[in-house]
Amino acid sequence: MRVLALILALTALACADRDGEAPAAAEPEAPLSVYVVNYPLQYFAERIGGEQVAVTFPAPPGSDPAFWSPSGETVAAYQRADVVLLNGAGYAKWVGRASLPRAGLVDTSASFRDRWIPLTGSVSHTHGPEGAHAHRGWAFTTWLDPTLAALQARAITDAFARARPAHEAAFRGRFAALAEALAALDSRLAAAAEALDGAPLLFSHPVYDYLIRRYELNARSVHWEPDESPTPAMWRVLEELLTTFPARCMLWEAEPLAETKERLLGLGVRSAVYAPLGDTPENSDFLSGMQENADRVEAIARSPEATPVSSKQMPSPGGTTSLGKEPSSEGRGPGPPRSGVRQEAGVDRDPRLAHVGSPFEKGAPQ
Amino acid sequence: MKDVLYLAWRYLAYHRVKTAILIASIALIVYLPVGLNVLVSQSAAELTARAESTPLLLGAKGSPLELVLNSLYFESEAPDTTTYEQAERIAASGLAEAVPLYIRFRSRERPIVGTSLEYFAVRSLRLAAGRPMAVLGECVLGAEAARALEAGPGDSLVSSPESVFDLAGVYPLRMRVVGVLERAHTPDDRAIFVDVKTAWIIEGLGHGHQDLAAPQAASAVLSRTDDRITANASIVQYNEITADNIDSFHFHGELSGYPLTAVIAVPESERSGVILLGRYEGADQIAQILRPVQVMDELLETILTIQSYVLAAVAVLAVATLATAALVFWLGVRLRRRELETLWKIGGSRSAVAGVLVSEVVVVLVLAAATAAGLTALTSRFGSAAIRMFLLS
Repeated sequence: MRVLALILALTALACADRDGEAPAAAEPEAPLSVYVVNYPLQYFAERIGGEQVAVTFPAPPGSDPAFWSPSGETVAAYQRADVVLLNGAGYAKWVGRASLPRAGLVDTSASFRDRWIPLTGSVSHTHGPEGAHAHRGWAFTTWLDPTLAALQARAITDAFARARPAHEAAFRGRFAALAEALAALDSRLAAAAEALDGAPLLFSHPVYDYLIRRYELNARSVHWEPDESPTPAMWRVLEELLTTFPARCMLWEAEPLAETKERLLGLGVRSAVYAPLGDTPENSDFLSGMQENADRVEAIARSPEATPVSSKQMPSPGGTTSLGKEPSSEGRGPGPPRSGVRQEAGVDRDPRLAHVGSPFEKGAPQ
Repeated sequence: MKDVLYLAWRYLAYHRVKTAILIASIALIVYLPVGLNVLVSQSAAELTARAESTPLLLGAKGSPLELVLNSLYFESEAPDTTTYEQAERIAASGLAEAVPLYIRFRSRERPIVGTSLEYFAVRSLRLAAGRPMAVLGECVLGAEAARALEAGPGDSLVSSPESVFDLAGVYPLRMRVVGVLERAHTPDDRAIFVDVKTAWIIEGLGHGHQDLAAPQAASAVLSRTDDRITANASIVQYNEITADNIDSFHFHGELSGYPLTAVIAVPESERSGVILLGRYEGADQIAQILRPVQVMDELLETILTIQSYVLAAVAVLAVATLATAALVFWLGVRLRRRELETLWKIGGSRSAVAGVLVSEVVVVLVLAAATAAGLTALTSRFGSAAIRMFLLS
C-alpha cells in the first residue's frame, strides 16, 4: 500500500511539474520558401521578406532569365515553393509551358495590366488550317519604370502578408523603405530626363520600353549585342538613321566592345551603360545598380554634346519615324509633367533595325 | 436427446450428397438476397464516395450523367466541351478552387486526363515514384496504368489517334513518364495524367514547329514578306516535346477559349458552393454546374429499383426451393417407413422417432444458415475490394 502511495505521489509530482513548466518554445517557423523568375524580384523579395523568407532564383548566372528554360526538376522545385513570384507581362515564357500550382503563384505586374506595353512588329506566319497567326506579346522589363517596380514590390508585400500574417507589419515597414528608395530613384531619373530636354537617345536593345515611356525620352532602339561586332549592314542602317535622328549617345545593357565604341565615337555617338539588371549583377545590387544607371543618365544630360541642338529645332523625331504605340496619358504613371517635348511612347521598331521578326522574340540580353 | 441427435447426424452423414445439396440450395437461397443487398450497398458507397469527394462539377449543358461518368470515372464518351475561361472565372471568383479537366484522349485504352496539379491534392493522390508533371509533354501514371503499360519514370507513352481514319486530325504525341502514383483504388489508378496544356497539344491546339525564319525551314516556305511568312504542310511539326524543342511550342490565341470537358470546383465553404450554384442557374447559361453526388444518387435509385425486381424473383425462387426441400424430406420419410417402424419395434417411442426426423431438418437448416452467413461475411469483407478491382479501377 505504501509503495502504491509512493507511485501515485511521484506520478502527481511529474504531472505537476509538467503543468508548471513554461509552455515549450514554439517550433521555429521555417522561412517562407520563395522562388522568383528574375533578379529584381529576388531583390524585392529579400528586402521585403528579410529573415522570414528564403528566396531562390535558380537561373544560372550569365543566362538571360527572360528566355531561360528550366529543366523539369527545377520546375518541380518551383512547384514545392510556398510562393512563386512571376514578373508577368509575358516575362519568362517557360511559365506558360510549365505546370505550377495556382495557389502560390503571384503575378507581380497583374495590378497594372492596363499599363503593359504591347509589342509590335512581329512576323505573322501561316502553316496550317488555322490561318495566319503571330506570336505577339508585351514588353516585359516593367521594373525599369521605378513606379511600376514599386507596384511589383507592393504585390510581393501583399503575398508575403497573406502567407505570414504574423509578420505583416515587418513586411510593410520594409516595403515602405524600398518604395521610398524607388521614389528617390524616380525623381533622379525624372530630373535627368528633364535636363535632356528631348535630346535624341539611342538604345542598343529594345528592352527599355517602360523607361522610355515613363520619362518621355526621345529614343530609338537598335538591336545590337554588346559582345558582338555589328555587321556592315547594321552600321549602314545606323548611319542612315543618324541622318534623321541625330543622337549623340547610345545606351547599352552592358559594356560594348572597344572597337564598337570607337567607331560609334567616330560617328559622334558616345556609349554608356544602362543595365536592365534582369540577371544578378556581379558587383552591386538592384538599387545601387539603378543608381549607377541614373548617374550615367545624369552625366549624359550634363554633357553639352549630348544635346547639340535644341529639341525644338530638331526634326520631329517621333512624328516621322516612330512606329511605336503612343499610350494614353492614363496609361502613364504619376510622372513629372514635361511640356514641349513630344512623347516617344513605346519603342520604335523600325523593321530595318531588326534582324528577324520581333526583336523581343529571342536573345534580348538583360 | 443426445441419442436422437446422434441418430439424426448419422443419417445425414450417411446420405452426405443429398444433405450437401439440401444445405447448398437453402444456403444459396438465403445468401442471394442478403449478399446482393450487401454488394449493392457497398457499390453505392464506393460510387458515392467518389462523387462526394467532388463537391461541384461544371461542364457544358447536356447530359449530367455523361458529364459525371466522364469526369469522375473516365467512362463514357467525352461530353460537350466548355472553355478554360470557366475555370478562370471560378478561380477568380474566390468562391472555390477550380481544377480543369480535359478527358478526351487515350493511350492504349487508358484515359489521358488533362488537368492541373491541384487535382492530385483534391483527390489525395500521392506519388509512389518520380515527381509530378512539370513541363509540357510529361505525364504521371496511375498505379494500375503503370502496371498494365509496364511503364515507369523515364519511359515514354504515345497518345492514340482518336480514329484510325483520322489521318489529318489529332496526331500522336510521345509523352515522357515522370511519376507513378500510389494505388488509390479509384479510377485514378488506370489514368494517365498530363497538364491540360499537354492535352491541348495532343489535340493540335498548341504545337511546336521549325522556326520559319530559320534557313532549315526554307524549303517549306511558300512566300515571305516583311511581316508574313507562309509555309506549306511540309514544315516539321514536333510530335515529342524535348528540352531542345520545347521553346518552339506555343498556343495560338487566348487560352481562355480553349476546351475543357469539365471543371471540378471545390468551394471554400457551403455558402460559397450555394452562391456558385446560383450563378449558373439562369436558362441563358451555356454551362451547367451540378453536385455529382445528386447525379449518382439518381443513378443509384435506378439501380435500387432494378434490385427490388431481382429480390422479388429471388423470393419466388426461395419459395420454390423450400417447397422442394420439404418434398425431399417428405419423400425421404416415406422411403424410410420400414426403418422408422424398426426403430419403434425395438422400443423407440413415437416422439423419439419424430425427434430424429425434426433434428435432421433442424441440422440441415442450421448448417445452411451458417453457410449463408459465412458467404455474406466474405462478401462484406471482400466485396469493396472486388468492386474497386473489377468495376472502379
